[in-house]
Amino acid sequence: MSFKACSLQDLTPGEGLRIDSVSPPIAIFLTEEGTVHAIDDTCTHQDASLAAGWVEDCRVECPLHESTFSLRTGAVDQPPAKKGVRVHTVELDGDDVLVELSQDAPNLPPGVKI
Amino acid sequence: MIIDHLEEPLPGSSLLPTPSGDAYTDPEIFGTEQTEIFEKMWNCVLRADALPAPGHWQKATIGREEIIVVHTRKAGIQAYFNVCAHRGMRVCTAESGKNKTLQCGYHAWTYALEGDLVAAPNLTSMPDVDRKEYGLKPVHVRQWLGYVWVCLAEEPPDFEQEVLGEVRTRFGEVESIDNYGIENLKLGETKTYDVAANWKLIIENFMECYHCATIHPELTEVIPEFADGLASQRKNGEVHGSNFGEEIQGFTVDGTASGVAELPAIAPDQDRKYFAITVKPQVFINTVPDHVIIHRTFPVSESRTVVECDWLFLPEVVEHVQAGELDISKSVELFHRVNQQDFQACELTQPSMSSAAYASGGALVPSEHHIQEFHSWWYQRLGLQAPLPAASGSEKVA
Repeated sequence: MSFKACSLQDLTPGEGLRIDSVSPPIAIFLTEEGTVHAIDDTCTHQDASLAAGWVEDCRVECPLHESTFSLRTGAVDQPPAKKGVRVHTVELDGDDVLVELSQDAPNLPPGVKI
Repeated sequence: MIIDHLEEPLPGSSLLPTPSGDAYTDPEIFGTEQTEIFEKMWNCVLRADALPAPGHWQKATIGREEIIVVHTRKAGIQAYFNVCAHRGMRVCTAESGKNKTLQCGYHAWTYALEGDLVAAPNLTSMPDVDRKEYGLKPVHVRQWLGYVWVCLAEEPPDFEQEVLGEVRTRFGEVESIDNYGIENLKLGETKTYDVAANWKLIIENFMECYHCATIHPELTEVIPEFADGLASQRKNGEVHGSNFGEEIQGFTVDGTASGVAELPAIAPDQDRKYFAITVKPQVFINTVPDHVIIHRTFPVSESRTVVECDWLFLPEVVEHVQAGELDISKSVELFHRVNQQDFQACELTQPSMSSAAYASGGALVPSEHHIQEFHSWWYQRLGLQAPLPAASGSEKVA
């Protein structure tokens, strides 16, 4: 079941948008190359919003401690985060960004509950 | 008004008084200068091309404050107080760097290059925290002559009037400073001088040329008229173009040709001449036909001032220098020596400022009388009363 997370107009190339109408919140990214991705918004190391991170080469760098996550696979590249984030399926319907949430269990940091 | 009477010496009085010695040694006076002058006026802090791409930042100290100047992603060059809004730690701890965000090393409060708070541990569960209000506190920024100027005051003085207007008026319409195209010049050389002297001694030195024939043999060789003691800067802030000597081929340490291309748009009257002005409180601009020398002074304490001096040339000149095809050292060496000679004189003056023999100050000869315009400005900024002219004037003569 997909839902409309936002519109393309809500997105800025190279930046993320936090969607907190779902729990845990997700982050939608529009890359400079024009691709749209959705991952869990919360870093797996400590409670921080990945939507505020630096996007480059289809990865987002957590704004707090420099672990980066692939926007395609959710995999993490370096500590301090050890686990990847979930990736959600994105479909575009015109300007609508439709997201189907992953059914996997999220990797949330200590202290963050759904 | 008192100062106006002093502009012309009283009959029988060639000498005008300077401020008393403690103006140059008292930490309390220096503290007032920091708050009333440096923290309220526009300061020229660094070259804009020192921050070539988004993410580059550099620190600067203005008055008592440490500032971060940043090339942002979306808003050009901006500047902030280097103070974390959370618990106050210094956000940037190196002198300069390149980062995607500005992050405090204490609790990882993280600021966008544009200054907003973008991340902090558990920030998402504190939705009431305003990202602007708890961003880095901005300072006012302007760019001019290829430099970044900042003002820490909440309401800065009008840049057009205070800085641009003053410089343009003093250079005059025809001999416009704009002719030098300083904003398009590139850095050929830069030198830092750590001077053990009060900043006012350095400004006073720069404003007069009574000392030139004594301590600047190379400069006086290139500009023989400096031997008359009259500087490029004169009464009422006027700027006088000082002529090169007849045999002189260039503004170089030995007066030989510089081999450097002249700045294309200078007026005929600016050819073979040296001009200098002071932009209060901390910039000196010197122009010659083929380069421009800019001093930025940063007072550290009542007895220490750091001076950054840049030699600026046409971009193609700097390219040739970088390619090893051109040597600008003869041009640079002339003013480097002038700087060393001036700053040595200032350093040998500073210790006397606390002497009993200088307690009531010294004297200005007629070719230095325009320095009283600087002094009256200084008294006014500090809310001090200038000493009465008749009393101090006659004392000195008697």
